[in-house]
Amino acid sequence: MKIKAMTGNTTAAIAASLCRPDLIAAYPITPQSSVAEYLSELIHSGALASNYVTTESEHSVMSVIQGAACAGGRTFTATSGQGLALMYEPYFQMSTMRLPMVMAIVTREMISPCTVWSGQQDSMSVRDAGWMQVYVENNQEIMDMIIQGYMITEHEDVLIPINVCYDGFYLSHLVEGVDVPSQKEVDAFLPAVHFNHAILDPDNPMAVDSLTSGEVLTRYRRGHLEAMTKALDVIDEVDKKFAKAFGRSYGGAIEEYKTEDADIVLISIGGMTGTARDAVDMAREQGIKVGLIKLRFVRPFPVERIAKALKGKKAFAVVDRSVSFGWNAGPMYTEVRAALLGGNDKYSHFSAIGGLGGADISLKHMTSVIEKLESVKSKPGQHETLWLMKEF
Amino acid sequence: MNYIEKLRTSEDMVTPGMSACQGCCGELVLRRILQIAGKNTIVCVPPGCMSGAGVVGWDYQTGMKIPVHIPLLTNTASFLSGVSQMYQRKGRGDVNMIAVAGDGATADGGFQSLSGAAERNEKMLYVCYDNEGYMNTGFQRSSTTTKGSRTSTTPIGEAINGKQQPSKYVSLIMSMHALQYCATASPSHMQDMVAKIERGLSESKKGFAFIHVLAPCPTGWSFEPDQSIQIAKKAVASNMFPLWEKYNGNYYITVENKKPIPVKEFLQSMGKFKSLTDADIAQIQQEADTKYETLKKLASE
Repeated sequence: MKIKAMTGNTTAAIAASLCRPDLIAAYPITPQSSVAEYLSELIHSGALASNYVTTESEHSVMSVIQGAACAGGRTFTATSGQGLALMYEPYFQMSTMRLPMVMAIVTREMISPCTVWSGQQDSMSVRDAGWMQVYVENNQEIMDMIIQGYMITEHEDVLIPINVCYDGFYLSHLVEGVDVPSQKEVDAFLPAVHFNHAILDPDNPMAVDSLTSGEVLTRYRRGHLEAMTKALDVIDEVDKKFAKAFGRSYGGAIEEYKTEDADIVLISIGGMTGTARDAVDMAREQGIKVGLIKLRFVRPFPVERIAKALKGKKAFAVVDRSVSFGWNAGPMYTEVRAALLGGNDKYSHFSAIGGLGGADISLKHMTSVIEKLESVKSKPGQHETLWLMKEF
Repeated sequence: MNYIEKLRTSEDMVTPGMSACQGCCGELVLRRILQIAGKNTIVCVPPGCMSGAGVVGWDYQTGMKIPVHIPLLTNTASFLSGVSQMYQRKGRGDVNMIAVAGDGATADGGFQSLSGAAERNEKMLYVCYDNEGYMNTGFQRSSTTTKGSRTSTTPIGEAINGKQQPSKYVSLIMSMHALQYCATASPSHMQDMVAKIERGLSESKKGFAFIHVLAPCPTGWSFEPDQSIQIAKKAVASNMFPLWEKYNGNYYITVENKKPIPVKEFLQSMGKFKSLTDADIAQIQQEADTKYETLKKLASE
């Protein structure tokens, strides 16, 4: 065991390098840039023997990677916000060609107004582009999920690329202690990549991605959706394997904290979870029976586990670091509600939105969510969206 | 072996059932390139006439005897960069990496990715078959469309008459990258074209090779399908499309044009230029002359 102090971005670069990708492509963008820089150092110093392509844009990043994957390679990149938006065209194609890879999204607010700061609007906006998405809480989890990510994405029942999403600045630039596995340990954990459903090879010629009729395309989509469902089991399986190898478990698609005897439940995503946990502890000291669900996987969405975790509770609130236009609520709030369909009337529930464009989600904010939950818990139905913001 | 013998004896890589228009030069160019390249090849054909004509396959059937992929309109050169890098990594640098793309995928939406791959000197042969427009989707203008052309987005009208801007000279722009090889070719000059494909393939093992091929289009340009080669010949003879190459840092004019024919002879042999005025023709003539003078200067350095 080797604990090192490092930023989230350095952690991501080291995690990726430990997985020995054949090819890395990268283009710098705030707040991801130091991932690209650190990977460049590893390549230029000779510490990492991957092919490394510094392209002219994120669109080409994903395209180069797709080409390498179509030649059977393991690949890695990281991006943020506008870069992800520019990448959308090959990004969608990557998942629908069912090509495995791990891509970190250093989450960032979307423009406009002009911003380069934190938020989850970027990754949330592409949650229906066919990728798996996991949101992590701290630098250790960045390390662990990038490594686990390769095992999940390359699993023969899955073959869907995965985003490891971590908060821009709040994690990307935060220095924390990280237990860095040795190369030997990662080599022992992670088998070599192998898939052959979409391969460009003169010895075995095929048309990869031919023009496709609607009937056949529908079969592909159905297979993709079914693989997403299977991935829920694979996520749990890999979590257990990882725990055995490295001694750390994250509970699979969601992580529950003090929910067992709770009346009211706070649901968090990503880096805000640490604050939420403290707020829960403080409220518990005052006798409030509150628990916490950390939503880790957003795709596949853990419908059954959410429903089970909230069963018998009186109230819940979801704190989103992004918005769902047209719902006057956060996107994960609408999805948690959908997961409970039929049981919604029994619960008191509301959406809380904060942390947009780098704004802070403070302990006071989290406490205000718990206080509102406590005050509405006996009034079933939807309550007004709570905006976690300064009054102007 | 001379070029006729080479083409006569080499295998066609396209499967039966391809549905290009009669007289299509894009098809001719695609088949000739892949004949020369042979089976140890991976080819990318982005959206455009050739993919639309079926070479990228349909449902579970392929349209080629070699591995083929339809990348996006916008990413052919970067996608192929990734394939190429992986093959270098595997010690299989012998495999030909070829893109066959139209002018839209080359000079418009795909230009950024193309320029990036050329700047990185990625190992591939990128061939643009230039039919001067988005012919597959109904002949809309592209940046390589000649000034004055009638297209479906630059129609002939009382207020605006055809395309108003001169064409983007994509091959000369590409040649300004520090690439391995750059050339223009025409199906009317097959010996020259075969030599350039061969050189392009061998140079593509060392870096980025780009060939810009004129591909007259009977359907879009409005001429009889049996006139395609004649039209291409006139484009070269009038200096509308001079034949040249650049390698080892030097430019060479490969088909000298000592007595050029007036551009009028080229322009008047098809329907898309039928509303040109004398002033328009004079301006196009001047542009062709300037283009050739520029190339001559580059070639004499």
